[in-house]
Amino acid sequence: MTIAVTSWSVWLPGLGPAETLGGWSPGPACRPEEAGELLGRKGLLNKEPATRLALCAVHRALGLPPGHRRGRGAPPDPDTAVVASSNLGNVHTTCAVARAVRDQGVRGVSPLDAPNVSSNVIASSVAIWFGFGGPNLMVCSGHPSGLDAIALGGLLLASGRARRVVAVGVEPDDPIAAALCAPGPPLRQAAACVVLEPSGGIVLDRVTEAAGPVFRDEATPTIVIGPGGDGALDLTRRLGHTYGALGVLQVAVGAALLHERGGAARIVCGDPTDGYRTTRLTSARTAS
Amino acid sequence: MAVIAASAVRTCLGDGARTFERLLSGECGVAPLRHVDAARLNVSHGYPVLERGDAVGEPALRATRWLVECVAEALCSAGLAAPPGRVPVIVGTGLRELRAAERWALDGEPLRAQQLHFAAAVGELSAALRPVVTVSNACSASGHALALAQDMVEHGEAEIVVAAGTDATTASMLAMIGRVAERPTDSVRPFDAARTGVLLGEGAAAAVVAGDGWRGPVAAVLLGTGISCDAYHETAPSLAGISGAMRDALARAGRRPADVDVVLCHGTGTVLNDATEALAIREVFADAGAGPWLTAVKGAIGHTSGASALMSLDVAVRCLDSGRVPPVVGLREPLPEADGLRLVAGTSVRCAARVAQINAFGFGGVNAVTVIEARP
Repeated sequence: MTIAVTSWSVWLPGLGPAETLGGWSPGPACRPEEAGELLGRKGLLNKEPATRLALCAVHRALGLPPGHRRGRGAPPDPDTAVVASSNLGNVHTTCAVARAVRDQGVRGVSPLDAPNVSSNVIASSVAIWFGFGGPNLMVCSGHPSGLDAIALGGLLLASGRARRVVAVGVEPDDPIAAALCAPGPPLRQAAACVVLEPSGGIVLDRVTEAAGPVFRDEATPTIVIGPGGDGALDLTRRLGHTYGALGVLQVAVGAALLHERGGAARIVCGDPTDGYRTTRLTSARTAS
Repeated sequence: MAVIAASAVRTCLGDGARTFERLLSGECGVAPLRHVDAARLNVSHGYPVLERGDAVGEPALRATRWLVECVAEALCSAGLAAPPGRVPVIVGTGLRELRAAERWALDGEPLRAQQLHFAAAVGELSAALRPVVTVSNACSASGHALALAQDMVEHGEAEIVVAAGTDATTASMLAMIGRVAERPTDSVRPFDAARTGVLLGEGAAAAVVAGDGWRGPVAAVLLGTGISCDAYHETAPSLAGISGAMRDALARAGRRPADVDVVLCHGTGTVLNDATEALAIREVFADAGAGPWLTAVKGAIGHTSGASALMSLDVAVRCLDSGRVPPVVGLREPLPEADGLRLVAGTSVRCAARVAQINAFGFGGVNAVTVIEARP
């Protein structure tokens, strides 16, 4: 079965207006605390930064106007699935709640944080916000988590569990998250979203394991997005450590670049401990 | 088509065989909370997995260790102690190693980001166990892992996949239970009119899922798992979502409600969840004659979060094998919403069950309902 990337977005607060990713400009992105400007303010009060960034990325990928909201009482769309990827989205809240209990007892915590101490809060929040009633998965697999999310999205389409998959990768950069990742490249808050459907758009190959950071294609791709040495677009070197967001970010950037230029992109994501995953994107147009 | 080749669990009542035996005799694993300040949490009890080292302090990375033990045991039971080829592992978990993150932040216990999930630890069992994908889907996480494992074998992505689940109690989740409780609950009483709320259990489970070409042992036939999201509320259940999830699972399994002999209910012992699940079961099985026997394990082993679906699966397999269904521990007077339902209370019942359904519902409205059939 063919899987296609039919829409994409990248949400990178702090990226300058003239800055590009391999020549593609993802557009301006507000910080999580300003997310109400795009999403509308109601309902954001207890949403963590990672959830807000994820909602912004999905909103942009769906091409919705600012402030657009799901209709009140509108039934969920059973054919749209959500697959989210994040490793650190709710670690700050979890630790803060544990600390508040130790310092002040249970009265020191807010019951409104209940969804946030469960690691699936990002995936379920996207479903509730936009009304997606299909399968809902939260992937927390470490470095390859973003491509694991893309792989599971493809599986949901192939198995007929969904007709459309909204895959979103996100990571925050709060001090707790940053400390947990140290030492290493600095953590960078980022979100990206790709929409997967059975046809149209940029064709996505099945995600497979890769032996290491460099993957040798038989047909040389136009672009390599990953840590693979000379000429590759290494988004970690370019932006910082986006961890669970990276795989989705790579696919979004790859789709955007192929949409402009045609050709094919090889994507590799992972690390020696968690393992590497790879996929290939192909445009119907030859490279220009 | 897929089968459960083997299954392993670790609960507060012991391994799979021991847990089932103690469920049949109506035992309850509730015990005072350890390693956390119960008075500050307004939660006094849980269903702890006791182990060596507990007496001197909280052992590190418990969820990880139980998971690895269960994966190893399930593979061994399936005759795959040394897997001949690549075996992907899907780990369902509600809380990952967030307890370790709490201890890292508060007490300075060592932790690396990669220890929040399970690839490194599972990979140490065998290099063939890859990739290891961690799916953090709240209280139905291991049901989701089972659905994905079946999809993978049926779509030729692997011949054998391990679906697993694991969770250890976090202080932050306990705090959310304590924050909304008038007074601490002393036990979980699923579907009881006088139920007073949920308590956390802990432990792990693993099931080896194999496809058509499998020639090894078979514990049960895996007919199908429906997965869906209510897209309704962050923490509250939806009647439409839950009944829809059960109908979807039965449709995927190719079975009618009247074919189901036993349901392993989610049954968390909270006011809203049990009432909603009971109403949904009444709706789905309205035209199914006397209806299936209903049981639930959380009164005996607590709410084991991401591991709970596969723990219920292990119990369901043993129900089909033994023809016995354990009682709902803690159930004395059923809630009014369960009027007309055949909840097993007091003592176990005997029934020649062929088809069992396993319900799992989680925060965020994430539903996973599995239907299995006795081995041929």
